[in-house]
Amino acid sequence: MYKLFLTLRYLRKRRIAYFAIAAVMLCTAMVLIVMSVMGGFLDQLKTKARGLLGDVIIDNRSYSGFPLYDEFIADISAWPEIVKATPVLYTYGLLRFHGTPRTHTVQVVGVRLEDVYQVNAFRGSLYYEKYYPGTTHLGEQQQPLVGFDVAGPAIEWRDQHGALLGSGPRPLLPPAYQTALEKSWSAGIRDDESPASEFATMLKAAGLPPIVGQYEAVPGIGPPLMVGDPQPGLIIGRDIIATRLPDGRYQRYWNIPRGCLVTLTLLPMSSAGTVDTPVKQPLRYVDDSRTGIYEIDSRHVYCDFELLQKLLRMDAAERVDAQTGETIGVVPPRCSQIQVKIAAGHDPRDVARRLKEYYHGMVKDPRFSGMLDLNDMQLIGFIDALTWEESQAHIIAPVEKERQLVTILFAIISLVAAVLVLCILYMIVLQKTRDIGIIKALGGSSAGVALIFIAYGAAVGIVGSALGTIIGYYFVTYINQIQDWLTRMNPAWQVWDRSVYSFDAIPNTVRSADMITVIVAAIIASTLGSLAAAWRAGTMQPVEALRHE
Amino acid sequence: MSDALLVASGLHRTYVMGRSRLHVLRGCSLSVRRGEFLAIMGKSGSGKSTLLHILGALDVPQEGQVLFEDRPVFAPPGKRRLYDTAFDMLSTCERQRIAYRRFAFGFVFQFYHLLPELNVLENVLLTRMVGCSTFTWWRERHQARHDALEILRRVGLHERLRHRPAELSGGERQRVAIARALVHRPKVLLADEPTGNLDAEAGAALLGLLADLHAEGQTIVLVTHDPGVAARADRVLRLEDGRLHSA
Repeated sequence: MYKLFLTLRYLRKRRIAYFAIAAVMLCTAMVLIVMSVMGGFLDQLKTKARGLLGDVIIDNRSYSGFPLYDEFIADISAWPEIVKATPVLYTYGLLRFHGTPRTHTVQVVGVRLEDVYQVNAFRGSLYYEKYYPGTTHLGEQQQPLVGFDVAGPAIEWRDQHGALLGSGPRPLLPPAYQTALEKSWSAGIRDDESPASEFATMLKAAGLPPIVGQYEAVPGIGPPLMVGDPQPGLIIGRDIIATRLPDGRYQRYWNIPRGCLVTLTLLPMSSAGTVDTPVKQPLRYVDDSRTGIYEIDSRHVYCDFELLQKLLRMDAAERVDAQTGETIGVVPPRCSQIQVKIAAGHDPRDVARRLKEYYHGMVKDPRFSGMLDLNDMQLIGFIDALTWEESQAHIIAPVEKERQLVTILFAIISLVAAVLVLCILYMIVLQKTRDIGIIKALGGSSAGVALIFIAYGAAVGIVGSALGTIIGYYFVTYINQIQDWLTRMNPAWQVWDRSVYSFDAIPNTVRSADMITVIVAAIIASTLGSLAAAWRAGTMQPVEALRHE
Repeated sequence: MSDALLVASGLHRTYVMGRSRLHVLRGCSLSVRRGEFLAIMGKSGSGKSTLLHILGALDVPQEGQVLFEDRPVFAPPGKRRLYDTAFDMLSTCERQRIAYRRFAFGFVFQFYHLLPELNVLENVLLTRMVGCSTFTWWRERHQARHDALEILRRVGLHERLRHRPAELSGGERQRVAIARALVHRPKVLLADEPTGNLDAEAGAALLGLLADLHAEGQTIVLVTHDPGVAARADRVLRLEDGRLHSA
């Protein structure tokens, strides 16, 4: 009993032990922060990569693409392990917003939107689709303008404090948009990812669903309208059309309203790899996508697969003999990638291997004899099928290694805490030499005296690691707010650059397993650090200890 | 069982200090009867404290043996370990020696040797805590507290329970030390110059307390260089040249 009693008393009364506790606390917090941020970074990388891809990705790593994708998809759709497969096209282009000097080089992704929704989590990344369900499509469409319900009753305009500002007709969107907005509003879907506009605040104060997002208004006071030439839709990465605020919300640029015209300039590429004359295509901005990966959100735009295929001249065409000029067949359409969703319970590696074998085998399929030329066969020969993890291994593996390395390095640095515990406890033992003699004179055994200091070290570890875990937990949880605050104080103090680290926010989740690991390691290190002091105390001769000056 | 509670025979203790050897005890023998008040006198550095430490199983003689209630306190000379190790609880002999310190002897030192982090009550209770498991202590804590309060009342410190040693006078500290030595009802109270650090008045009060304890049957072995203090004892032995002589 005296061991526990004296351990707790020394812990409370020996202020020097606070330094040991502080060292353990800081080291625990440091390791926990590093493990959490690096682990969270890795998890985010996996989650986001997973969300944008299918379970299996079929690709030949060529912008020339590969043929027979529709036939392949039709064939594998009959396989029980295949849920859905969809072709995707990738190319580069130049995006220009009409009426602004803004231009962006972008990666253009051609998708069949309804199919992509079934293959990966792309739908969840769309902004307008969330608040206006069913209004985002990539077909031809006009621009919706906010108007007013001139025939209906006037509503009272109030500010956020409820003070009356005036009254006027109710703002309205064109019927399809207004209906969708009211549907999501009644389903309890609220926009907390954008700052509230004055317009939205007034509508809310009037008890009406606020108009979410950025829309152009009709000139004067008139009903809502759909205006402009019908043009195909384009989904744009959110970091192109909005700016991220320090609190993590996105402020859309006022001069890029939903439905505004943009022009995409593309370079078509033949199956032989030759570049053709650039083509321009006007489109309408219909939605924006936020995957959370900065490289994607700041560069990717998404248009209709068939449209992009046509613009890139990768659609079906007549095959002409170069020497005679005669039509000798049909050039099959091409895509850049096929994303496949597989049914639960199947091994993606095994499915990927079989899909690859099947695709390569299609070259010899009699159904396609005479359809493929040498280039087509080569493009199919380059096809590989990878699981999503394999396809992202070049990103995930280095981060995984980096996480291990950084954790080990910080754990080594944390040995400083163990050494500090050793030094401080050894010093306490020297200071308490006479006390040790007294305890032994009262009948305390050497092992008992040694245990006091081992328990002391463990107690330092327990208290230090508990405090460190609390600090680490809250630091990680509020790490983005801390960084934003530091950035506001001095922009040079921004440590998390989205363009460098891919994600727009620092990972802020602490895993229970990491907490337990760090706490246990800290307690073991502190206890080991106390062993030398405990040995010294245990082997101290009582008579010599009592005579100690 | 003989009338002798504590018997020491042929005790030798030599300290090695660098290259020199200091032969402090050269065959000391004595016998302490139950209820006796024995004083051991000697000049400073004569080995009185060493003899007291050996009698109380705090130090180990190279030769000779101490019998407590006819049982040997130390292992036979060939198997005797002179220095404590961290593994003392693994040895039966060492365990027994520690048990004597816990239950048979109570020490009072010249410089009080109270733990500064503990208050008066806690210093006294510490003696009872040593040797108790947490479970045993939980069961016996009320009795231990009752005994400690009783003994503190006896030494006149029952109103200063929460005071720390630094807040007490020398005489009060020594009374706390006596309470600590007596709280587990030891068979022998071993006092090493208990008045050596006290003024005349506090010293006299302390000697009065020891005399009262002796009158109640407490066996006391006291070491002093002060003939006035020794005069209070039933019997006085003089330690000279490492040997004991009757005074």
